[in-house]
Amino acid sequence: MYLPDFAYYAPDTKEEAVELLVRSRGTARVIAGGTDLMVKMKQGLLSPEALVSLKNLDGLKEIGTGSGGLFIGSRVTLNELINSPVIQATYPSIAGAAHQMANNQIRHTGTMGGNLVSAVPSADLPPIFIALNARVRVTGPAGEREFPLSDLFLGPGRTSLAPGEILTGVVVPEQKTTGSTYLKFGLRRSGALAVVGVAAAVTMEGPTVKDARIVLGAVAPVPFLAGEAAKTLYGREFTTELAEEAGRVAASECRPISDIRGSAEYRRDLVRVFTRRSLEKAVREGHV
Amino acid sequence: MPDFDVIGRSKPKIDGRAKVTGEAKYAGDLKFPNMLVGKILTSPHAHARILGIDTSEAGKLPGVKAVITHADVPELKYGISPARWDENIFCRDKVRFVGDKVAAVAALDEETVYKALRLIRVEYEELPAVLDPLTAMNDGQPQVHDEYPRNINTEIHQHFGDVDQAFKDAYHVRTDRFVGQRTYQCPIEPHSAVSMWADGKLTVYSSTQSPHYFQYYLAREFGLAMGDVRVIKPFVGGGFGGKLEPTGLEFAGAVLSRLTGRPVRMFYDRHEMFAHNRGRHRQYMELTSGVDRDGRILGLYANFIMDGGAYTSLGVASAYYAGAMLPLTYGFENFKFDMYRVYTNLPACGAQRGHGAPQPRYALECHLDMVAKDLGMDPIQIRLVNARRPNTVTPNEFRVNSCELTACLEKAREMSGWDEKKGNLPPGRGIGVAVGSFVSGAGYPIYRTDLPHAAAVVRVNEDGTSATLYTGAVDIGQGSDTVLCQMAAEAMGFTYESMKIVAADTETTPHDFGAYASRQTLMSGWAVKRAGEEVKAQLLSMAAELLDVDASTLDCRLGVIFDVASGTARLNFTEVARTFFVKRGPLVGKGSYAPPKLGGKFKGAAVGTSPAYSFATQVSEVEIDAETGEIKVAGVWDVHDCGTVINPSLLSAQVHGALFMGMGESVWEQVVFDDKGKIMNGNLGEYRLPTALDMPKVTSALVHGEEPEPAGPWGVKEVGEGATIPTMGCYANAIYDAMGIRLDSLPLSYEKVWKALKEKREQER
Repeated sequence: MYLPDFAYYAPDTKEEAVELLVRSRGTARVIAGGTDLMVKMKQGLLSPEALVSLKNLDGLKEIGTGSGGLFIGSRVTLNELINSPVIQATYPSIAGAAHQMANNQIRHTGTMGGNLVSAVPSADLPPIFIALNARVRVTGPAGEREFPLSDLFLGPGRTSLAPGEILTGVVVPEQKTTGSTYLKFGLRRSGALAVVGVAAAVTMEGPTVKDARIVLGAVAPVPFLAGEAAKTLYGREFTTELAEEAGRVAASECRPISDIRGSAEYRRDLVRVFTRRSLEKAVREGHV
Repeated sequence: MPDFDVIGRSKPKIDGRAKVTGEAKYAGDLKFPNMLVGKILTSPHAHARILGIDTSEAGKLPGVKAVITHADVPELKYGISPARWDENIFCRDKVRFVGDKVAAVAALDEETVYKALRLIRVEYEELPAVLDPLTAMNDGQPQVHDEYPRNINTEIHQHFGDVDQAFKDAYHVRTDRFVGQRTYQCPIEPHSAVSMWADGKLTVYSSTQSPHYFQYYLAREFGLAMGDVRVIKPFVGGGFGGKLEPTGLEFAGAVLSRLTGRPVRMFYDRHEMFAHNRGRHRQYMELTSGVDRDGRILGLYANFIMDGGAYTSLGVASAYYAGAMLPLTYGFENFKFDMYRVYTNLPACGAQRGHGAPQPRYALECHLDMVAKDLGMDPIQIRLVNARRPNTVTPNEFRVNSCELTACLEKAREMSGWDEKKGNLPPGRGIGVAVGSFVSGAGYPIYRTDLPHAAAVVRVNEDGTSATLYTGAVDIGQGSDTVLCQMAAEAMGFTYESMKIVAADTETTPHDFGAYASRQTLMSGWAVKRAGEEVKAQLLSMAAELLDVDASTLDCRLGVIFDVASGTARLNFTEVARTFFVKRGPLVGKGSYAPPKLGGKFKGAAVGTSPAYSFATQVSEVEIDAETGEIKVAGVWDVHDCGTVINPSLLSAQVHGALFMGMGESVWEQVVFDDKGKIMNGNLGEYRLPTALDMPKVTSALVHGEEPEPAGPWGVKEVGEGATIPTMGCYANAIYDAMGIRLDSLPLSYEKVWKALKEKREQER
């Protein structure tokens, strides 16, 4: 396997990066960690004419809190997510999701932004971020804009980014969520893609569920909110039986396929199990 | 235990520093002046006629120095098994699997090679493919090779004693069917070879388990004298059976070097390694046994079909091994074995750690547990009833000397807490047992020859401060260089720290068949021991002359020559060795080893013969997630009868490594194909080897008989493959104990556990 020929740019500003992408008329791709892109290029699945590297855009490495909530720059690596004191102090469940990804070597290189814009159905970060109501910030020829992360994904490998747009970061808004978590079922303990990934974020009022968001990964073309499952919880006292009921609804909502990692039937049942387990964990343990 | 100075100790690996610092050079790291880079173009179709190959565009690409096809190479077919030479350097008339060799390019750099491969135009006429071994033998199926009707590559029908009578006499007869999956060895180092053909001599640096077989087959293919072919093994990053035979890299690389007059480095990418394969066969196994009221096996019938893939590789031996190894562990007398190894349009299978033994062993160990359940017996009890005794002969005429299987079972029972745990574990937890046995070297070489199996030379360096061991034995990471230096030092009465080694180079080291069939510690060890003893005898004779005493009054240990009677030190190794060189010339010892004549006279009697056999028992405890089917291994207890230990820490590493591979094959690993015969997971992401995080806690122990194994130097036996063999059956039995589900096919994947639990719940409802 060998990389095809391509031009390579490493601009110093976001504006230059956007201009390079616009000029390429869709033939260029952005590269950050490259852990997904390089493999696909070597396999001949992608053959961009140019790569625009974000490596000189240091502003995209920021992790911080402000009035809008928690901001995470798109170039933050997975290990930086895991080890960030800011994330540990706010939503350790994001670090927890990142820690279940790939292996240590890849977590040193792969970036948060890359994990989102690759739009892989089994990606591990989208479910927890969507569960936490995260929004994405992008910059492009028309300037900056911000929209819900759940609107980013159109299908496997396809996003709603306009030509020339670059993902610059994710904003997790301030919220009163009681707990959140992401549970992944992979076929070994490291270096395995999710067969099923379930994130849950719940807001409790005493023993009663006030709000809940359940996001399913790897069981549809895009990560998606299991809205019906969440609705079964509203205003009801949280019990294991209730979580199981939500799990059954989530299982009926998902649209899994059969592939080398598992049959659709298996995935559907795993959605039930992990929806229940993630709800219980979020309710009882907080943001983990 | 006898008193040893150098063996029996965990000496540091002789190449440890070079490997840890990255200084060690593997075949793919080597660079030579003017070296070209070469690659092979492979078939995209499982079965297709080649109508034409146009290399003209590739040849015109700047930087390309040679493009070759079948027209440029010898027509002679080759293969590691002389019984079936069925492979060409490049396909001539048709391609037989996705990945079959079609052409090759040599160019100035890797980038150009890959571009040139894309410029070769091959016109194919696709043919219907044979992908299912169960229907491959039916009438009207496409033929993979015209020479082998009904796609039968190997057919075995063996009958020892009278199985039918045994079943008639039996209290209980039971038949079960199992399936073993295709796996691949996945050595971490990809195959590489650098070939240089100049002045009528071919030199190849290769990532190989056997320079000798490479030398033999390269010489044969190109009509060269063996003396004009030199094969050198640099550092090797694992083989596990997959690097025992020369590949297209050596054959095509040799031709490319001859045509260009330059060294050519050839290599496989990871997915090309999967396509070249030579890994474990998929196997369909039916077992019938008859037992008496006490669970004693009266007869066993094994009826198997193997998916061989498109070529023979070492598969004839794999097919024989599959049956031959079954009677080793249990002392029954009536045994029948039927086997068809069939061709399919899939990558060729061969020898993988444990060779043909692990999957049939999985089948037999599961089967025996089911028999035990029918009889209301404890699984360890039924194995104790049947366990082979020392100094016995199997129905297929393997002579077993030392055998401590009973002690292995008893020790494993005690260490694992079997008696307390069996039947008393909490829900979802279970405990299982399985046994195994393996050869300590094959009794016969792969092709017919009267060469000794191993030879060694020790040369004490002229100033007497060090000695160099020259051996054809092949260290592929398992540590044979270290172990053999320990053995040489022990035999000479010298120290390990003073040993140097030159190994696995057909021109500078004496002949040895290489690293396979767990043979080197015993076979190469004998040659080294004899060479070392010859050095010692000469040294003591020199010392005796200097001291004017009889040589028989002296001995030498750890470099000190002493009077045996009084124990008084008289001289040291170094000064006497130096004097020897001055007075008598080089101080050199040599040794060789050939096993005694082994085995019976029936067809296939040679496969499975060995001077000595190891025995092992494994107990594992698993925890099953009843909702997801996930299997967590809480602990593994491995007890081995592997004879005298040369290096305890390397032995532990072998047990752990073998168990790791066995675990991977038990639960995670399987090569998967689509309906066109294309590999769907030829990468380390989706072909899931276990990771360090998946490794369970392993407790291992050794057992020894009262008498050391007479067939091994100092009583050594094998360990490298033996610990792979029980694992699959052991896990399957533990899963049954935990959940009451019997998984009859490998791998024992989480989804299969989930599905079986679901079906069980539905049945119970």
